[in-house]
Amino acid sequence: MPTRDLTFAIVGSGGDGVITTGDMLAQAGASVGLHVMKVEAYGPQIRGGESSCTVRVSADPIYAQGDLVQVLVVFNWADFGQFRGEILAAPDAVVFYEETDDTPREEIDLGPETDDVRWVPVPFIELAKESAGTKLAKNIVTLGLLAELFSLPQEPIERAIEGKFSKKKAGVLEANLKGFEAGKAHASKIADAAAGKRLQYTPGEPMLLMSGNELSAVAALHAGCRFFAGYPITPSSEVLHLLSELMPKVGGYLVQTEDELAAIGAVIGGSFAGVKSMTATSGPGLALMTEMLGLASMAEIPAVIINVQRGGPSTGLPTKSEQSDLWQALWGSHGDAPRVVLAPADVEDCFHATVAAFNIAEEAQVPVIVLSDQFIAQRRETLSMLTLDHEVTGRQVPSAGDLREYKRYKETKSGISPMSWPGMKGGEYQTNGLEHTEDGSPTSMFLTHEKMNAKRYRKLRRVRDKYSFYRRYGAEKADVGIICWGSSKGPVKEAVLNANGRGERVAAFVPQLLYPFPYHEFQDFIKTVREVIVVELSYSAQFYKYLQTFLELPEGHTYVYKRSGGKNLTVAEVEDKIKKVLEMSALRREVLV
Amino acid sequence: MSAAAVKVELKPGAYKSGLKPVWCPGCGDFGVLNALYRAMAKLQIEPADTVILSGIGCSSRLPGYVKTYGFNGVHGRALTLATGVKVARPELTVIAVGGDGDGLAIGGNHLIHSCRRNLDILYILMDNEIYGLTKGQVAPTTPTGDKTKSTFWGNPEPSVDPCELAISTGATWVARGFSGDMKHLTEMIVDGILHNGFSFLNVMSPCVTWRGDDQFKVMKAKLNHLPEDYDPSRRANAVKYTREKDKITTGILYEVESPSLTDRLEDIKERAMAGNGSPSTKEMLESFYPSF
Repeated sequence: MPTRDLTFAIVGSGGDGVITTGDMLAQAGASVGLHVMKVEAYGPQIRGGESSCTVRVSADPIYAQGDLVQVLVVFNWADFGQFRGEILAAPDAVVFYEETDDTPREEIDLGPETDDVRWVPVPFIELAKESAGTKLAKNIVTLGLLAELFSLPQEPIERAIEGKFSKKKAGVLEANLKGFEAGKAHASKIADAAAGKRLQYTPGEPMLLMSGNELSAVAALHAGCRFFAGYPITPSSEVLHLLSELMPKVGGYLVQTEDELAAIGAVIGGSFAGVKSMTATSGPGLALMTEMLGLASMAEIPAVIINVQRGGPSTGLPTKSEQSDLWQALWGSHGDAPRVVLAPADVEDCFHATVAAFNIAEEAQVPVIVLSDQFIAQRRETLSMLTLDHEVTGRQVPSAGDLREYKRYKETKSGISPMSWPGMKGGEYQTNGLEHTEDGSPTSMFLTHEKMNAKRYRKLRRVRDKYSFYRRYGAEKADVGIICWGSSKGPVKEAVLNANGRGERVAAFVPQLLYPFPYHEFQDFIKTVREVIVVELSYSAQFYKYLQTFLELPEGHTYVYKRSGGKNLTVAEVEDKIKKVLEMSALRREVLV
Repeated sequence: MSAAAVKVELKPGAYKSGLKPVWCPGCGDFGVLNALYRAMAKLQIEPADTVILSGIGCSSRLPGYVKTYGFNGVHGRALTLATGVKVARPELTVIAVGGDGDGLAIGGNHLIHSCRRNLDILYILMDNEIYGLTKGQVAPTTPTGDKTKSTFWGNPEPSVDPCELAISTGATWVARGFSGDMKHLTEMIVDGILHNGFSFLNVMSPCVTWRGDDQFKVMKAKLNHLPEDYDPSRRANAVKYTREKDKITTGILYEVESPSLTDRLEDIKERAMAGNGSPSTKEMLESFYPSF
């Protein structure tokens, strides 16, 4: 029986070509309109060390990585051991492994339920040497094997191989194409291995294949960003990389600064000068930027900061995802420093959240943090061009009348004062990290401080009223309502839809605007659910505790599922919690009746 | 006759913001401020096209006293803000100002990299050899052995010569001035604004409150000018006038021509935009279709 949805994982050492293999699979899938999600995972080594690539390919839309791997390729069991508990095989998975690796089965941990796994030894090294003359081609042999066995689009894969090797010296392309053929030929000898797992799909139009970081970079330019300053840090650097190419093409400027302090300083300077400006970083970098977030807040200067979360604190797990920069983004501050925090929930959202961040920053003259994470920032997934558009707005400019006696920080009902920038005659003013009067002059007067604090915070009201980004999935009235944020959305959405498919009344609420919080929308949601589960990848439950600071979660009916990052949330975990809470709820009703 | 045709000459007083400086009577920074007014008038600089930025410290209050766009930022980060302004809006005249603690201690890293980048701005460092605003602690330019609020037993550390630092890290115009020598200081500021690239002006600016009320006299007695035939194009010449103990030699110590950061970024932009012009969002996205 064929399938419409397959998850592959390839594991080996750096240099085994694991990532190339995954890339080609993903590209080939996207080129025929399949839905693809590709996730890479490495150790912290720069070269060598373990690496893995998981590619989910489906004829239907997908929202999560694919918890359980149906097709696993292992070049080396020692490397696989480094992903124990992260890469889990499905009960009926087929596992292709290097024949010469004689690690005993009992030393291999494929996951909790693997009794029916099909173990298929493959002489990857021998096949590569025989066909291509080098064991380096074993990843291309793998592509031939997988393409033939699982009915993957062969022609695009071949073209991907040609694209990769045609510029290399003579003979390399031919050798690799022979490797591809050798893989296909070997497949015919072990055809039974793919029983029930041949992919069935109707080829369609090509899809875009992008990561969240790449999309954030393009979105910034769409929003009109023409200045970027940043300092390299994993897992955000792709934003810097792509913008270093694209920014000058659209007439803008980019500087890689000496540190994150300089990056945020330059962004504030560029924005003060009237140019939409942005930086991108990760937790440790955001920590360094915290002082100047306060400056942007105080001086009311728009600034967009993309923070791609990774495991922390300190250097932590630089290549892996976590949702533990939430408090830092919300509250990392000296003084009372209003800012806005947005959280994209998937790759496509990185486009909308980034453009919205510019709109909000410019309209309300506040720093806006886009709280992305490694899982959505670095995974690549297929997208439709049609969904990638977003309205762009700008800052309120002083009128000729305003400029006659210009007051930069004029009291207004909304708290927002028209903002001049250099070049505007009559708009000259001094901005200040010191508390200041309406014209920007420094003051230490209590009364002014109180009034100006109120003005700065008042601006958030307008943001809350105009931008209530959130998503809601599942049943209108639900026995279980899940609340989560950021990349947890993917597995949660898939789990909710699966539950609804079984007839269970389950729903989910995912705020994308985290601060100011879409309070009313949340209240509407909470009224419709019986039990609440808060789901997050933060050991100390930062999101749950944040909600508690201003929300009444139903007492006795609220559950928290939280754990450390380092391993992406799975659909199975969420389904397990739904099941347990449903049972608990039924039991409670029985007892109470 | 159109209004633009009648260009009113701006006098030094026209650059005053009207805000009264918070500095102590006798502070050297008054001299720097007045020289700046004069230099701006000499160049007939358009206030609306000028940005003066600073960090934190007594001297960092200066932007508020000049009628241009001004930015009194956070401690040590004046040059980061100035980098953003100048890179994003290369046509503006950008001047960063601050003290020795702000620019050499907490902001030292940014000074090094602004010099290296040859950022096209004038940076005026008002050097009083002390932390004034926090009331008298040792600074990177305080002479070894000096007693301050935070060096009860005398300063145990060697000091840094800011000009030597700027020259060695890539600044293309480095000068020293004295806030008690108005005419000369005005010339230095004019020259520093006109130079293409990073202009570093170290101004000896006495703190009469924390370095003693005879500081003006002490510095004036040491004042020395570069010889008439001095050649500022060689580093070896310049370093003869750094780390001076008994003299304070003023003038342009070092000056060379080299492309500024603005020049280099404009070159990149030109290369990037050659041919096809600016791509649309759709065109940028389309490059992410699988391509073999």
